[in-house]
Amino acid sequence: MKPPGLRRRDATRLLLAGALLPTLARAQASRPEAPKYGGKLEIGTIYVTLSALSWDPADWAWKINHDGGMYEQLFAADLTKSKRHGGKHSFYADAWIPPEALRGELAESWRWIDPLKLEIKLRRGVMFPEKPGVMKARELVADDVVFSFNRLWASPKKTAAYFDHVRKVSAADRHTVVFDFAEFNAEWDYRFGYGYYSGIVPKEVADAGATNWKNANGSGPFLLADHTPGNSQVYAKNPNYWDKETIGGTEYKLPFVDQIVYRTIKDEATFITALRTGKLDMLETIRWQNVAELKKNAPALQWERSLAMSGTFVAMRVDQKPFDDVRVRRALNMAVNKEEMIKAYYGGNAEMFAYPQHPDYGGYFEPLSAMPDSVKELFVYDPAKAKRLLAEAGYPNGFSFKLQFTTANPDHVDMVPLLVAYLGQVGVKVEVQGMEYPSFLSAMTTRTNAPGYLMNNGHTNPMTTLRKSFVPGQVWNPSQWNDPAFSKKIDAMYAERDEGRRQALAREMVREIVDKAPYIWLPTQYIYRAWWPWVKNYGGEVRAGAVRPWPIYARIWVDQELKKRMGFA
Amino acid sequence: MAAVIPATGVAAAALPAAPRPPGFFVRLFRDKPLGAAGGVLLLFFLVVGLFAPWLAPYGYNEIAPIERLKPPSWSHWFGTDNLGRDVLSRCIHGAQLSVIIGCTAAALATVISALIGIVSGYLGGRFDLVVQRFVDAWQSFPDLIILIVVVSVIGPGMPQIIGTLALLLGIAGSRIVRSAVIGVREHMYVHSAQSIGASMPRILWRHILPNVMPPIIVLFTTRVGTVILAESGLSFLGLGVPPPAPTWGSMLSGSGRTYMFQGPWLALAPGLCLTAVVYATNVFGDALRDLLDPRMRGIK
Amino acid sequence: MGAYLARRLLALIPTLLLASIIVFVTIRLIPGDVIDLMLSQNDVAADKKSREQVMAALGLDHPMWLQYGRWIAAILFHGDLGQSLWQNTPVTELLAGRLPVTFQLGLMAMVVALSIALPIGIYSALRQDTAGDYLARSFSILLLAVPSFWLGTMVMVFPSIWWGWSPEVNYVRFLDDPLQNLKQMAIPAIVLGAGLSAITMRLTRTMMLEVLRQDYIRTAWAKGLPESLVVLRHALRNAMVPVVTLIGLQAPLLIGGAVIIEQIFVIPGMGLLLLDAVNQRDYPIITGVFLVVGVAVTFINLMVDLSYGVLDPKVRYR
Repeated sequence: MKPPGLRRRDATRLLLAGALLPTLARAQASRPEAPKYGGKLEIGTIYVTLSALSWDPADWAWKINHDGGMYEQLFAADLTKSKRHGGKHSFYADAWIPPEALRGELAESWRWIDPLKLEIKLRRGVMFPEKPGVMKARELVADDVVFSFNRLWASPKKTAAYFDHVRKVSAADRHTVVFDFAEFNAEWDYRFGYGYYSGIVPKEVADAGATNWKNANGSGPFLLADHTPGNSQVYAKNPNYWDKETIGGTEYKLPFVDQIVYRTIKDEATFITALRTGKLDMLETIRWQNVAELKKNAPALQWERSLAMSGTFVAMRVDQKPFDDVRVRRALNMAVNKEEMIKAYYGGNAEMFAYPQHPDYGGYFEPLSAMPDSVKELFVYDPAKAKRLLAEAGYPNGFSFKLQFTTANPDHVDMVPLLVAYLGQVGVKVEVQGMEYPSFLSAMTTRTNAPGYLMNNGHTNPMTTLRKSFVPGQVWNPSQWNDPAFSKKIDAMYAERDEGRRQALAREMVREIVDKAPYIWLPTQYIYRAWWPWVKNYGGEVRAGAVRPWPIYARIWVDQELKKRMGFA
Repeated sequence: MAAVIPATGVAAAALPAAPRPPGFFVRLFRDKPLGAAGGVLLLFFLVVGLFAPWLAPYGYNEIAPIERLKPPSWSHWFGTDNLGRDVLSRCIHGAQLSVIIGCTAAALATVISALIGIVSGYLGGRFDLVVQRFVDAWQSFPDLIILIVVVSVIGPGMPQIIGTLALLLGIAGSRIVRSAVIGVREHMYVHSAQSIGASMPRILWRHILPNVMPPIIVLFTTRVGTVILAESGLSFLGLGVPPPAPTWGSMLSGSGRTYMFQGPWLALAPGLCLTAVVYATNVFGDALRDLLDPRMRGIK
Repeated sequence: MGAYLARRLLALIPTLLLASIIVFVTIRLIPGDVIDLMLSQNDVAADKKSREQVMAALGLDHPMWLQYGRWIAAILFHGDLGQSLWQNTPVTELLAGRLPVTFQLGLMAMVVALSIALPIGIYSALRQDTAGDYLARSFSILLLAVPSFWLGTMVMVFPSIWWGWSPEVNYVRFLDDPLQNLKQMAIPAIVLGAGLSAITMRLTRTMMLEVLRQDYIRTAWAKGLPESLVVLRHALRNAMVPVVTLIGLQAPLLIGGAVIIEQIFVIPGMGLLLLDAVNQRDYPIITGVFLVVGVAVTFINLMVDLSYGVLDPKVRYR
């Protein structure tokens, strides 16, 4: 006879209920609060030290998306796929949106009519607000998209070849735009979709003078209200903004806050202090050296961190001796103690391998552990092997070379003596030359840079990261890499429509280029960001387009009661 | 003990001499103790700077990442920095750099001041007017601005910083020398030298220069401190002497500020050295001014 | 006096012209030109045609002498200093925004400097070579000997750790909200002024020393007038000379700005404008700033020199 007590079915039910309980409790606790409207948000953005360079996309200035909250684009990131919402994206990448997280902003839907024709249906009812002296309120229509594109492409400051893949952009009807491509380019959605210069500017603003901030007007969530160069940019809420956000099952009109202030602060000690005393509600760029102290003195801050969106390396000119020999280049990689750099120099706040591809790049990225042995050994400290390789290449007593770096980057200024010391141990003598930034940059763009060139280079996106640095004639190619076979592979990657195959091509190219070591590959550091607890509906996302934070800022709301309770004005 | 008063010339030599006026150093230590202390401090740093490689316990660039950010201890009196380098050794080598940069630039500046001031002040008239207008125009630009532009053109480096600072301070200081020269040139002995037809260079060298040495000496002394401060300001803006040169300014503005919570000694050590030297040059210069040339008081 | 003034003004013109040529040419010789900076922002390589296009758009494709001629003509006939190469904003507009900020900061700093320097200088002169004299002078010199960026950093950072308070970083124009404006400007003015006080203190002290040795002062003492009366009536009037001298010496600061203080305390002044312009190779701004600073400071110096004639009867201009 069965003993009394729980029957198996009951036990299972109880177990299930017990298992569900904590989940239920958590769900209860994490059910989002109802957002409140109003208040001000003071932001130290990721570019906190830089003022606005321009207000007009036709100036082709890289920072326009960041400052131009009033202009919107065809595509933006789908923030519901962020980590905070259970997705896997941190939205930190500076100019890339993973295809599965792409959302139509001004575009409601899009489809390929044929392999080289793209039809975009625009959202209806998106309004340009009235701007006294510039324009009356009116709807954003297909003609505006066409106008913006043509104006961009006719600008004297444009980047050559950027839209060479586009044959024509036209308006099929009031809300339909058709892109006629001359050839397929895998970056099509980036270049005039969510890219650097893709803001839709109405004709009236262009006529009044789009470079004048007082004339700027667009369909975006925030409109430029004031600009004190060198100190701040103030944005006021667009009361008739079209987008909505669903929180806790209810739909809310955006944006929530009344005003956003970008604070421009050049000095690191000052902007860290401003965060500490609540003068900044959030700060998007904090070096690791400041984290411990901030956590101690402002324990209420919320934190997030990401690997920097730029690689650090020493480029070696492969068109000169001794760096034309791959053994020499590999030897120098083994001579630098990268593990020690991570542990001691970066205090543990760095990773070994995050360039040329970034771990956030999904299928494009392969971790070091998956790489072949010849790649892995470049990241293992082995000065004995380095010396052997150098001797084999004909430099048993080492050699000397000149290294250029910029004094504008405090991390590099500190790193140079360290690198010199490591290389000195294998008999390589380094003569250093510190340069201020524009001169330093010019050395690279005029291809007169020294054989050694210590720099940071942004990833931009998973394809550009390879193209911009390893194709002859490109701007960011300090190693003067020139391999026709490699260049052909890059072209093939750009012409490939299937994403999976594209990623495979990219991965293969990364293995090849890392192995051939045109650079001394160096660890990538973590960059932190922090915000006060009254900044709500936010989880540290930074960019929802090419250097474009506005969809993120539109969704933030400020708990003014909480802020007062915590003792901040 | 009474002195014997002799009757003849031989005994005259044995006359007790009238009490001599107190020597310069006696007056310095007796009347201007603050200035004297400053002078002693300067001497100390000068000696440290000159013998730096022998005095420093470690090299200034001995990197040991394992030893990073260690607080002051018996093996490292001033602790270690973020790369594990001994801060005391770096400060000592920094003294050498300060001596080099400070004294070279100050000396050059003083020579320029003396040249312009003496020639312009002596000749007077239209030449003086024109030169002074150039000086005016030059001085209307803030020093740091000129430094920023020059360093951007040529790039950061010690020679250009020394050269530019020397030029800036030299031209500014010429005013002081010039006003001293104007005071001297009206003296009788200058007129008599002119009337017997002495050549201008001779007059300048034998009569004018010796009488304006006091302001020139004071200028030199205070300039040393000014140059050291200026280099630290340039370091803060990223335009100072590039690494791994351990100037006090770059130590203070670089890792000193970055690690000010994790390692306050990184900033305290070079900061105290810098402040001490600049303070010393100023009080010493003030004392010199008071002692050497009453006429010179009051001007920068 | 009139002839002197006329001669000084006339001598100004060739000097400024020469200075403008030097500034104009030197800036454009700086390596790393603005075209490189602009084109390198973009990830796609720029070919020769792009370079030429951008150069033409910026007006930099003409020979140097032609560019200079246009620039000078624009200034003399239209009062137009050109436009920023990056933002297309007129340089005059940028300067009009920054100059009052710098001027205000400089003025406040001088007030601070004088409030520290005058009392210390007078006291030091009256009690020459006493312990009080040494202490007072040491304090003033110590303020000078600490690098301004370090003083500024300490003032910015440490109160935030100890008391959770930091200086304002929000700039509002004085006319818009005087109280808020002063809240931000007060601390940097104090830091800047503290560093300036040493020079004035020296001047004041030695002026006082000279004055105190004068016969008429001895007479006043002999007559039995209280010290304070002697000081106030006779000596203080002569303190105006160092005040005015300070204005002359610090005129570049009033107009050109104090870059380091501006950077630390987020003050949008002329110093930062120039620093940014140099970093971006924005030639029109650089030359515009130099020109305005040069002209303004020269005028201020002229006023200072003339005022000596008023203040000190011994000085006469032939």
